[in-house]
Amino acid sequence: MDEKIRELGERRRKVLEGGGPKRIAAQHDKGKMTARERIESLLDAGSFIEIDAFVEHRAVDLGMDEVEAPGEGVVIGHGTIDGRTIFIFAQDFTVIGGSLGEMHALKICKAMDMAVKVGAPVIGINDSGGARIQEGVDALSGYGDIFFRNTRASGVVPQISVIMGPCAGGAVYSPALTDFTVMVDKTSNMFITGPQVIKAVTGEDVSAEALGGATVHSTTSGCASLMFADEASTIAGVKKLLSYLPQNNIEDPRIVDSGDDPMRSDPALKDVIPDAPNKPYDCRDVIRSIFDSGDFFEIQGLYAQNIVTCFARLGGRSVGVIANQPKILAGVLDINASDKAARFIRFCDAFNIPLVTLADTAGYLPGVGQEHGGVIRHGAKLLYAYSEATVPKMTVIIRKDYGGAYIAMCSRHLGADQVFAWPSAEIAVMGPDGAANIIFKREIEESSDPASTRKDKIAEYKRNFANPYKAALRGYVDDVIDPAVTRPRLIRALTMLLGKRESLPPRKHGNMPV
Amino acid sequence: MKRYKITVNGQFYDVAVEELSGGASAPVPAPRPAAAAAPAPSAAPAPAPSAAGPSVAGATTVKAPMPGTVMAFKVTQGQAVKQGDVLLILEAMKMENEIVAPAAGTVASLRVAQGAAVNTGDALVDLA
Repeated sequence: MDEKIRELGERRRKVLEGGGPKRIAAQHDKGKMTARERIESLLDAGSFIEIDAFVEHRAVDLGMDEVEAPGEGVVIGHGTIDGRTIFIFAQDFTVIGGSLGEMHALKICKAMDMAVKVGAPVIGINDSGGARIQEGVDALSGYGDIFFRNTRASGVVPQISVIMGPCAGGAVYSPALTDFTVMVDKTSNMFITGPQVIKAVTGEDVSAEALGGATVHSTTSGCASLMFADEASTIAGVKKLLSYLPQNNIEDPRIVDSGDDPMRSDPALKDVIPDAPNKPYDCRDVIRSIFDSGDFFEIQGLYAQNIVTCFARLGGRSVGVIANQPKILAGVLDINASDKAARFIRFCDAFNIPLVTLADTAGYLPGVGQEHGGVIRHGAKLLYAYSEATVPKMTVIIRKDYGGAYIAMCSRHLGADQVFAWPSAEIAVMGPDGAANIIFKREIEESSDPASTRKDKIAEYKRNFANPYKAALRGYVDDVIDPAVTRPRLIRALTMLLGKRESLPPRKHGNMPV
Repeated sequence: MKRYKITVNGQFYDVAVEELSGGASAPVPAPRPAAAAAPAPSAAPAPAPSAAGPSVAGATTVKAPMPGTVMAFKVTQGQAVKQGDVLLILEAMKMENEIVAPAAGTVASLRVAQGAAVNTGDALVDLA
C-alpha cells in the first residue's frame, strides 16, 4: 500500500507542476499568475478541491501521441469564496498553451454540470491559445459542448468569465454567453479573428491590444463588463462582484449589513442637482448618497457612459441600479445605452436582484446614425427588459423625464411597483420649448412680438406641465418626495415589496428584440 | 502618414491617413481610432473622406458626440489643457454639455465658430 500511495503522490506532483518551471517562469515574466496560483488567490485559503487532475488527452494524430499534457491544460474543481461554494475552471497556459482539446473541454463541462446540479456560481479563467488544432473536430466539439452548457446554465447559476491571457477564435463565445466578462489590462485580449488574419484579409494593421485588449472591449465594443489594472485587482473585483449575487436563481443574494442607518436622510442631496434643468451633474453623486455607505459597483462603467448600471445595497440587500448620466451625452438613451441597461436588468431579474431606476433623461438621441443603426429595435430592448422583469421595481424621477424616455425608464406603465418623483421632476410628453412651439404655433406666429410670445408660452407650459404633479394626479407617480428622504423611502418600499410574487404567462420563452 | 487613392462613384479622392497614438482611455468624446478611417487599398467602394476640412498634423480631433449648438468655448488657441479640462459647452438635448479634453495637449485650432450648429462626428477642436 505504501508503494501505491507513493505512486499517487508522484503522479499528483507531476500534474501540479503543470508545464514545468521554465514555462511557469515565462508566465510570471508576463505579469501573469499560473492557473493554480489564480485559483488559490481567488478562493478561500485551503478550500480548493481539484477534480479530474488525472485526465489525459487521447489524441494520436499529428504527433499528439508523443505529447504529454499534465492536467490536460485546465484545472477544475470547487471551493469557497467568502464561505460560498463555487465551481471554477482555469486554463493552464503552461501546458501546451492552454489549448482546448476534447478532454480539456470535457473537464470544463464537468465543472459546469456540477455547478448547475448543486446551484453554485461558475467562474471560468480563460488563458488559452485556442483550439488544439491536432485534435480537429474533437476540439470544435469541445467548444460547442461548452457553449451549449453556458446557454443552458444562463439564468440558473451566475457565470463569470475572467480573461487573463489570450482568448481567440471560437473561445470568445463562451465568455460572451456568460453573465460577466472581466478583463485584465494589457495582458488579456479577445477577438474572433486575430491581427494576422485581419492583415491577410483586409490589409489593416492592428495590434492585438488595439484590436481586442481590455480597453477597447471596455470602452468601444462593450464586450467586457469590467477591467482591472492587474491580476490581483481583477481577483479582488471578481470577489466583490460575487458578493452582490445569489448562488442561483431560486436564492436571494446574501444580506450584508454595512451599518449605514436605513432611516438616514440626506438634506445635502437636493444641492447635488443644479437648479437650472439644462446644467449637467454626475448621477453617481446621487447614487453615493442613497445607497448603503455610498458604496456601489459599476458594470460596463466605461461603455455607454450616458447610462450608469451598478450593483449597490439598500438596507443590506443587493439591488441593481440603472441611472441616466446627465454628465455624458446629456444622459440620452441611445443604442448602446439601451443595450447595456437591458442586459443588466435581465441579469438582475434572473437572479432576484430588485431594480432601482434613477431617471433624468431628455429622451432618445436624434440622428441618422442612430435610426439607421437600429435604435428602434435596440431601444426596444430596454422596454422589453423592464416590462419582463418581475423583481421589485422602484423608480425615482429626479429631473427630466420626457416622452418615450419617460416610459422606458421603468415607468408605472412598464410595471414599476413604486414610482417616486422629486419636486424637480419634469414629466411631460416633451420638453417645454418643443411643446410650446407646436401647441402655441399659431399664437406665436400671429403675435406682434413672436419672440416674446414664444418665451411666455414656454414659461407657461413649463409652469403648468413640466412638473411631477400632472403624473401624480393620475397616480403614475405614487408620491412626490423631498430628495433628502429618498434613501429611507426606497428602503421602506423595498421592505414592503419583499413579498412580491409575480409570474409571466406560461410560454416557451418571450421573443426579446435582441 | 499613408496615402491612398480612393474612388467613390467615379470621383477620385487623394487621402492621407495618419495613425494617432495615445488617448487610450479617453472619456467622452472618444476619438475614433484613425484606423477606422483608413479604407483598405482594395477595389471595394470606400467611404468618402470627411468633408470637415484639413486636419492639423499630429493632432487629436475632438468631435461632436451628438448634434447640437456650440454655446461657448472655454479655451483659446494655443492654450495648454489637461485631460478632462472643459474645452467647450455644446448645447444639445436640452443640456449644456461639457466637452472635455480626452488627453492633455495644446489647443491647435478651434474648428467651428461659437453659435455653430454641429452634427455628430463634426470636428470641434484640434489638440496637438
